[in-house]
Amino acid sequence: MRNVFSIFATVAPQVNIMLTLLRRYGTLIGFAAILLFFWISLPDTFMTARNWLNISQQMSMLIVVAAGMTIVMVMGDFDLSVGSMASLAGIAVAVLFTVDLPIWAAVSLALMVGLVGGAINGVLISFIGILPFVATLATLTMLSGLAFVVSGGKTISGRVIPEGFSSFARGGLSLGEWGGVAITLPNLTLVAIVIVALVWVLLEQTTFGRRLYAIGGNIEAAHLSGVAVRKLKLIAFALTGSTAALAGIMYASRVASANPTQGSSLMLNAIAGVFLGSTFSEHGEPRVLGTILGVLILGILDNGLTQLSVDSYIRQILVGGIIILAVSTSSLTKHLRS
Amino acid sequence: MPLLALKNVTKAYGGVPALRGVNMDISPGEIHALMGENGAGKSTLIKILAGVVSADSADIRIDGQPQNIDNPQTAHRLGLRFIHQEFNVVPALSVAENIFLGRVYPRRSGLFVDWRRLNDAASKTLDRLGITHIDPRRPLGSLTLGDQMLVRISSAFIGQAGTPAKLYVLDEPTASLSREESKRLFDVLRELRGGGASVLYVSHRLDEIMSICDRATVIRDGRSIDTGQIADITHDDLVTLMIGRRVEDAYPPRVGAPAVHTAFRAEHLAIRGGKSLSFDVRAGEIFGIAGLANVGQRNVLRTLFGDLPAASGAMHLAGAPYRPKSPADAWRAGVGYVPRERRSEGLILSRPIFENTSLPHLARQSRWRSFLTPRREQKSAVAQGELVRLKAAGPTQRVRELSGGNQQKVVFAKALAGEVKLLLLDEPTRGVDIGAKFDIYTLIREMAARGMGVVLVSSDLPELLGMADNIAVMRDSAITHVLLAADLDEERLLNLCYGRTTG
Repeated sequence: MRNVFSIFATVAPQVNIMLTLLRRYGTLIGFAAILLFFWISLPDTFMTARNWLNISQQMSMLIVVAAGMTIVMVMGDFDLSVGSMASLAGIAVAVLFTVDLPIWAAVSLALMVGLVGGAINGVLISFIGILPFVATLATLTMLSGLAFVVSGGKTISGRVIPEGFSSFARGGLSLGEWGGVAITLPNLTLVAIVIVALVWVLLEQTTFGRRLYAIGGNIEAAHLSGVAVRKLKLIAFALTGSTAALAGIMYASRVASANPTQGSSLMLNAIAGVFLGSTFSEHGEPRVLGTILGVLILGILDNGLTQLSVDSYIRQILVGGIIILAVSTSSLTKHLRS
Repeated sequence: MPLLALKNVTKAYGGVPALRGVNMDISPGEIHALMGENGAGKSTLIKILAGVVSADSADIRIDGQPQNIDNPQTAHRLGLRFIHQEFNVVPALSVAENIFLGRVYPRRSGLFVDWRRLNDAASKTLDRLGITHIDPRRPLGSLTLGDQMLVRISSAFIGQAGTPAKLYVLDEPTASLSREESKRLFDVLRELRGGGASVLYVSHRLDEIMSICDRATVIRDGRSIDTGQIADITHDDLVTLMIGRRVEDAYPPRVGAPAVHTAFRAEHLAIRGGKSLSFDVRAGEIFGIAGLANVGQRNVLRTLFGDLPAASGAMHLAGAPYRPKSPADAWRAGVGYVPRERRSEGLILSRPIFENTSLPHLARQSRWRSFLTPRREQKSAVAQGELVRLKAAGPTQRVRELSGGNQQKVVFAKALAGEVKLLLLDEPTRGVDIGAKFDIYTLIREMAARGMGVVLVSSDLPELLGMADNIAVMRDSAITHVLLAADLDEERLLNLCYGRTTG
């Protein structure tokens, strides 16, 4: 029975499978290629525990913000204000230290700033009905202005920052020795891991997460199925705001100071990380573990290219190109398949 | 010579015939009605004329010349104009801009739009059609629906340069117009006819057809049944022609009589845009709601489902007061809902079957009402799937991959997964193939037999007559009659929908 049609029947599914593999694993293959490239180009420094722990610490703030960003992007929304929220929270914690508040109180209050700011985004978007782009663009500007007003436009540093606060970022969990070098898991990395675990449980294991994915899939059907769309959106934005504030506090701890612009790079990288990460999932939806992989790709590129002394502006161009490549591979293969 | 002559037009969608041979001709300068029940093939025929759908076979002649209409541009060039509800209009632009949309606006120094000339030209166009009450500078979106329709007609009247309009096709133009607006529309149509153009007028509304049309063609089951002068035909003849002889029973038989106690009661319930409604649905009863398009049936269901607030009145569910403030309240109270648009309202196509069926019942199916138990959800989805005779690869299959009938069964599985006391159905078999239709009818019967109250809104009159125990007739957001289905036939029900009590 080998005729023209049976050949078609056998070839077409194989092409189909290849396209599926490319779509699902294209980014992963690219990730592996990047790792291999740096490993070969930087044989002594790249694939070392020390470098990786360093990367993890550098990236811990971005990971926290990106994990929080995933929560709103699951619903098809996004939050542009996370960067200035992080800056404001950093400023807030530092300013609270200047009035001699204990560390726990200052940190809690700064986190509250994030929660309230995020809830304001949520009210604007879900109850007043402003598009997330417009609403969070406006709060981005306001929070950024607020950070300047509160700080007087200056960097807050020096003795007002308690030793206990800045030493947290320097400390870590000792993992023993490896190859004669003491290995320590930095506290900031630990915080990032905890946040990722929490967001994973929230999105993948709870009714809350399931409902957010339902809103992202079809908001009207979700509403008619009894999902309290407005309330959940508000909570989701409040959570995203809180993670942004946490990242700002982590940053302040790491550099033992706060200035009103130090979180500004976080927003674009977090959104890029979620987009890159969504190419890992079968149906292209954001998933928090994918987000972490996406953020890691960005961080590793940054780390490797810096070590190769590639100019930072060239790095920006490369990173943008890689995002376009990953997302277009994913959507092109999707088109070809259907 | 007829302006437009159609001979033996046939069309099948995936082996299912929609048109089995339509013959029809339209003379110059006449208003010609195209009539038929839902699914008779009217919209397919119009799509073929518009060049949106290609016929399997057709002999189409315009002014005696055979024509092949393979795309909308050809249709336009041949002088055919289609007035759709949402067609080629931009609400934010002015009336004048909309009338000349698609044409080059008059310019000053070849660069800037000459607004004065544009508005003057629009005024002149409107005047020629006898429309004097519309300011061409107003944004289209600020006009009433009826006036927007008139602007669309003016735009079609202008069309592209060098292609005079010969035939205007209007599909249910008065569905959402007031009586006054409809009258204005008819004046404009007569104006067009006076100018020598023809109109193909598709409508369910017999009174309108009797008053403005010259001739009518009736199609049924994809065939043209008859064409005749309106002057020679009565209202009742038209109804009989449309319905034809009774089709064989396509509905599963009733199982026993409904119980005596009520499952649901509405007392002086004020729905949005309507008067107060009172009705009872007994346990095990299928309560049908009939009516022409958009006379408030949807708002009744939405109010019962807590999605629209009731201005006043009371509802009782299984004897207890029932005051839903949201769909979530309704689901909790034991009200299940199958919305009209399954793809946009009923389903999350990108998610698996089990996530769809469990969504309204998620808290109940989870540990401590918060932590997902996918295995329990999937087990429940499988059980519900068997109940509704769902054909799928498994509970994790994405809903997008299912056929229309099976998607609708997922919507039913979702609605029935809780402890349902009242089931609300809005056009439950729309766009569903015949086999799945029968499954759904059987399911509705089974659910009624279990003691649920069922409210069935349908524009398919045979479906209502075949399924419902009692039928409420709605007109202008009010219930005008509640009758035993056994005492009704299709002709009488249709007449009641049109507001004619005799017949």
